[in-house]
Order: sequence, then structure tokens, then C-alpha cells
Amino acid sequence: MIDEELLGSHRQELRRGTVVLACLLALRAPEYGYALLKRLDAGGIPSDANTIYPLLRRLEERGLLESEWNTDDSRPRKFYRTSATGAELAAQLMTDMTELTTSLHALNGGTNR
Amino acid sequence: MTSLTERYLEAALRGIPEKQRTDVEGELRSSIADAVEDRAAAGEDRAAAEKAVLEGLGNPVRLASEYAGRPLHLIGPELYLVWRHLLVRLVAIVVPIVLVIQIAAQLYAEAGYADAVITGIGAAIMVGIQLAFWITVVFAFIERADAARDAREQITGASGRWTVEMLPEPAAERPSAGETVGEVLTTLITIGGLLFFRDLGSVTDASGTPIPLFDPGLTTFWFPAFIAILAALAVLQVVVYVSGRWTVPLASGHAALQVAFAVPVVVLALSGSVINPAFAAELGWPPLAEEKGSVMLVLAATVTLVSGWEIIDAFRRARRAHRAAPAHGAASSAS
Repeated sequence: MIDEELLGSHRQELRRGTVVLACLLALRAPEYGYALLKRLDAGGIPSDANTIYPLLRRLEERGLLESEWNTDDSRPRKFYRTSATGAELAAQLMTDMTELTTSLHALNGGTNR
Repeated sequence: MTSLTERYLEAALRGIPEKQRTDVEGELRSSIADAVEDRAAAGEDRAAAEKAVLEGLGNPVRLASEYAGRPLHLIGPELYLVWRHLLVRLVAIVVPIVLVIQIAAQLYAEAGYADAVITGIGAAIMVGIQLAFWITVVFAFIERADAARDAREQITGASGRWTVEMLPEPAAERPSAGETVGEVLTTLITIGGLLFFRDLGSVTDASGTPIPLFDPGLTTFWFPAFIAILAALAVLQVVVYVSGRWTVPLASGHAALQVAFAVPVVVLALSGSVINPAFAAELGWPPLAEEKGSVMLVLAATVTLVSGWEIIDAFRRARRAHRAAPAHGAASSAS
């Protein structure tokens, strides 16, 4: 029986790196913060609001995302979209992720069971 | 929006740099509103939804530090052990010394034993608190200087390729946090000691007026100068730590300050202008204040040796740091 807390902390560690990739992939179509959160949730990558919002800003500061305020709706919302650099990074990370999964399966016994 | 959201925003935005505030505020406000609306549309009570959304975002101070990328702690894990070690060691050394000096001074001033011990303990506690406070202040500063340096390196590192020249200096070349705090505190303790002995006043003349320990000429003119030089030395130590290495300009500045301190002290000591003659007479040991008295010769020799060693050591470390990583200095001054 695995300790719940132990499992939780390792899971969090494992997911941490994938949140950035998930954001970069999802935001190839422009989206605002809350809608992105819902989409990640529905897509099987549940994340906390207090992780995603500051993360979006940091990714923007590094030029991986671009943003634009949309004032057409009832309330102004900040829309993010993956930049060209961001898309390039995401493609590379995705390849790495696939390779990682393959390698782990190989270590696990050679077959994709 | 209702006051709960406003209060949350106010608490969170307080910790966010001015420049980003409007933008973050707008984004957080719309995000909170979106989430509340979504829950309300699903049939939840509006007030309960708002509460749940804000609690989901968590402590606003923590959220702000996520945005700002600043440490929440005063002293982080990297420095904690050094901090504790230094604090315990210094308190263990300095507090008993203060205790003994104070009790001895009180007894000399013919206070009762009980009074002497009580005054001594009081002074020791005060010094202990001061020491703990200042050590912590210096460490907290270093923690933030380190965070700023890491951030700078991350930014400069993102554009250029990492090379081995960017490796941190070997331990011998790079001033450690403990060493820096030690140097700064030694300087602060020296300043404190000068002021402490100046105002001690436990030796009194026949009428009960305290006789100052130091020569009046010393306290009026030289004291402020010495304290300014010592303070400048403390600042210089912090600069050396933040820049990560001794350089020839830093070592030269350090040497100038050491000379500015040592030369007057030696001249004053040799001419017998340190100790108040009246004090020496009252103490029954006039040679203490005499020209070329033995105690003053020892003082002059000690100051010369210590300052000389500090100057040589700084230049030696500057040279070694330069030899270990000549390109590093050029890279960091260019960034």
C-alpha cells in the first residue's frame, strides 16, 4: 500500500514539467486564463489556478506566449497565444516527451503493455 | 464585484511590482469573475461560489510572490545552516565576554555583587538580541542579493551559451556567506566596542563625575572618522560578496580604507593620545597614557599586523580569482 502523501508529492513532481508543455500546446488557439484552465482540466491535465495564472505571465515574459486584451466581451479579458518560439519549443518538448515514454516502457520490460 | 474579491485583490496586489499591477489586477479580476460565474451558472450560491474561488486561489501573499518570483522566506535552505551556526557561535562567544566585562566594570565602580550581576545579565541579554537581529538582517540581505543574481544569470544565460568559465569560483576564491557575515559583524562589533568603551563611565573622579577612557581629542575628531571608515569596510565586504570575487579595484579600495584606519591609530597610539591621562591616573597606572607606553606599542603592532594581513589577503584572493577565471570578470562586467 503506497502512502497517499508520498504518491501525491511524486505525482506533482512528475506533472510539474508537463504543465508548461500543456499550456504551450493548448494556446496555439488563443484563450484567456480561466478558459484555458477549464480546457486543461477537461483534457486530463488538471492544474491549479494559482499555478497557471503566474505561469502564463512568466511564459509571456520569456517570449513563449503573446498576449492581447480583448474588450469586446462584457468584461475585458487577457488572451494568450503561443508565439513562434513557443510553438517551436513545444514541438521539441513533445518529441522529447514521446521519447521519454518509449524509454520508460523499454525499461519497464520492453513491451508497451 | 463584492468586497471579498476587492479585499483579496488588494492583498495580492500589494506584493506585486508597481509596473505590473494594473495588468495583473485586470487579469485576476476577470479570472475570478469568470470562475464565480461558472459556478453560479451550475446552480451554486453566488456568495459561496466567490468564497470557494478565492480560497482555491489560496493565500494572496503567496500568489503575489508567485507572480513576482520573490522568495517568501527571510533566510532560505541554502543559508539556514550557516546562519544558525554563526548565530550560535557568536552569541556563545560574545555574550559571556560582555557579561564578564560588565560585571567587572560594575564591581570596579563599587556596585554591590547583586547589582553587578543583574546589570551584567541585562547588558548580556541586550547584546544577544542585537547580535541575533543584525546577523539575521545581513543574512536576509544576502538571500535577496543571491536571488537577484540568480535571476540576472538566468536572463543573461538564456541568450548566451553556458561555458565552463561561468562556473562559480572555487570555495577558496569565492567569499562565503558565513565569512562575509563574520567580517561585517567583526566591523560592527568594533564600532559597538568603541562606543561602549567611550560611554562606559565606571571610573569616576573624587566628585563622582565619570572620567572617559579615551583621550578627549580622540573622541571628538577621530571617532566619527574611524566609525565612517569601519562602516565603509563593512559595505565593501558585502559588495565583494555580491560580486562573487575579489578584484584588484576592490582590493585597492579595501587597502586604502585599511590604511586610512591603521595609520592614524598607530600614530595616535605611539604619541600616547588614545587613553585619557586622567583615566590612567585614576586607575593608578599612568604609563597607559604615556607616549610609547608598552600597551600602546602592543596596540600599534597589532593594528599594523592585522591591517597588513587583510590588505595582502585581499590582493592575493583577487589575483587567484583572476587566474582561476579571467574571462568571467570580462563577461560579468559586460552584462
